[in-house]
Amino acid sequence: MLAVDDLSFVVEPGTVTGFLGPNGAGKTTTLRMLLGLVAPTSGSALVNGRSYHDLADPTRTVGGVLEASGFHPARTARNHLRIVGTVAGIDSGRVDEVLELVGLGTDGDRKVGGFSLGMRQRLELARALLGDPQVLILDEPANGLDPQGIAWMRGFLRWYASQGRIVLVSSHLLAEAAQTVDRVIILAGGRLVAEGPLDQLLQGATTTVRVRTPDAERLVRLLEDAAASGPVDHPPTSVRLEGPDVVMAEGTTAETVGPLMARAGIVVYEMTSSGESLEQLFFELTEGLEQGGHPMGRPGPPPTSGGPVQGSAP
Amino acid sequence: MRQVAAELKKFRTIWSTWLLLGITAFLVAALTAVIAFAPHDRGARELLFPMRGTTRWFDSIFSSLTVSLTLALVLGILCMTGEYRHKTITPTYLAQPRRGRVVVSKLLASALGGAVVAVVAGAVALVFGFSVVGAGIGDSSRMLTEYRHVFPGVLAAAILYAVYGVGLGALLKNQVVAIVVGLGVTAILEPIIVAVVPSVGRWLPGQVAQALESVTANANGLNNGITHLVLWWQGGLALLGYGIVLAAAGAFTTLRSDVT
Repeated sequence: MLAVDDLSFVVEPGTVTGFLGPNGAGKTTTLRMLLGLVAPTSGSALVNGRSYHDLADPTRTVGGVLEASGFHPARTARNHLRIVGTVAGIDSGRVDEVLELVGLGTDGDRKVGGFSLGMRQRLELARALLGDPQVLILDEPANGLDPQGIAWMRGFLRWYASQGRIVLVSSHLLAEAAQTVDRVIILAGGRLVAEGPLDQLLQGATTTVRVRTPDAERLVRLLEDAAASGPVDHPPTSVRLEGPDVVMAEGTTAETVGPLMARAGIVVYEMTSSGESLEQLFFELTEGLEQGGHPMGRPGPPPTSGGPVQGSAP
Repeated sequence: MRQVAAELKKFRTIWSTWLLLGITAFLVAALTAVIAFAPHDRGARELLFPMRGTTRWFDSIFSSLTVSLTLALVLGILCMTGEYRHKTITPTYLAQPRRGRVVVSKLLASALGGAVVAVVAGAVALVFGFSVVGAGIGDSSRMLTEYRHVFPGVLAAAILYAVYGVGLGALLKNQVVAIVVGLGVTAILEPIIVAVVPSVGRWLPGQVAQALESVTANANGLNNGITHLVLWWQGGLALLGYGIVLAAAGAFTTLRSDVT
């Protein structure tokens, strides 16, 4: 089965890059190719210009955090790490260090069989960090973590990238990813559908703009004219009146509606745009591309509450 | 070398290895006692149950050491297939992406593991030997002579049997299948083939291991009446060949497949 087709992308130091896509999009397969576990039919998966197999010291170059299942249940966490350390020539002092770093400082001598999924996920991260690698590749690291753990992981990844290192993280949790990543790579049906800085990608995304104004009816006419003649970048696809003073314009942007109202001298009490989110962008890009022919379709009307959403990472 | 050290650490850090050594000690002790104190027989069973205290008797009780071959085989199989069973193959290949090196390290580490199994078995048998001598059955020089006849061959065969186990595991990958095949070939298939086509049968793993085991026993003419075996060094080379060829075949087929 073809999981990933003709995909190429570059990730940069100092950034957290989100690797996003629906289930079955080929995220895990791609990451496993980068880590030398899956062989591409053709082409190459290179880290620092080299395939994983050719890295002189893989543990010190790339840290791979995969599905937290590669543990012998009867082995202690510390021994699990010491074995990897032995191969890479890393001493047991560093093993204690990474256990401490991921919050397993007191669980090192426990058998992994008794670990919760969250603890296994942390241990998996600890293993990847053993060699203090320049590149960290993580496949759904938030899986099994509790909310505190997820927040911790987010902070950790941001900190790791801020040291000038490369963090590539796959996720299907868009809200979580939106808070963590600087750049995104969006994959659907095994193909790249978008790549770039998150805030740039979101700028082009259309949204629903909600305006509260005493001149609601005039605004509706103004926007309908704009939609018909289209002298603007994102003319609204539909405009409707919601209540006596609220106008909803879909398929446009605040940057389009605002200047129009300014030129027409319409007073604004309140203006919000919603759906200007990674999630919205994601659905637009991946619609109909899910594997197995089950297009998820667009979700219901986007929520209209909440302030203007800035998609960029904190 | 670091990879071999890591493989040895893998053995040391799980209880199943220690359990396996415990089973080895127990089986050797039990078998030795059964053979030693079974009523001796002038008839057909005289070969296995000779008069107490005789040279043949010591040779016979030390034949219990051959059970360590089976355990060495299991150790070798576990070394390879355990990684796939517990998915630890993922961190293993992340730390050492050159899979051939992992397999070679496992062959070396398991060879050492097989030696440890044989040494544990040998120690138990030796303690037993000294105990019976202490109890006034036979004399220690006769006992030690027989021990020296049996133990080196068992040690060599156990080392190579563990290597053969890694080869089986590398090719079959599945733990249960590898153990069933490994034990089934020796216990069921071999006797049939030996009976029907001895010229082929004598080259099968269990038979070449027996030939290797008799390396020192042959000198005493105590080959337990088995005449179809190949020479001990041929047996050793053949057994080593089984391990290496199977491991190489595994490295080029099953072990190359994607780890998902």
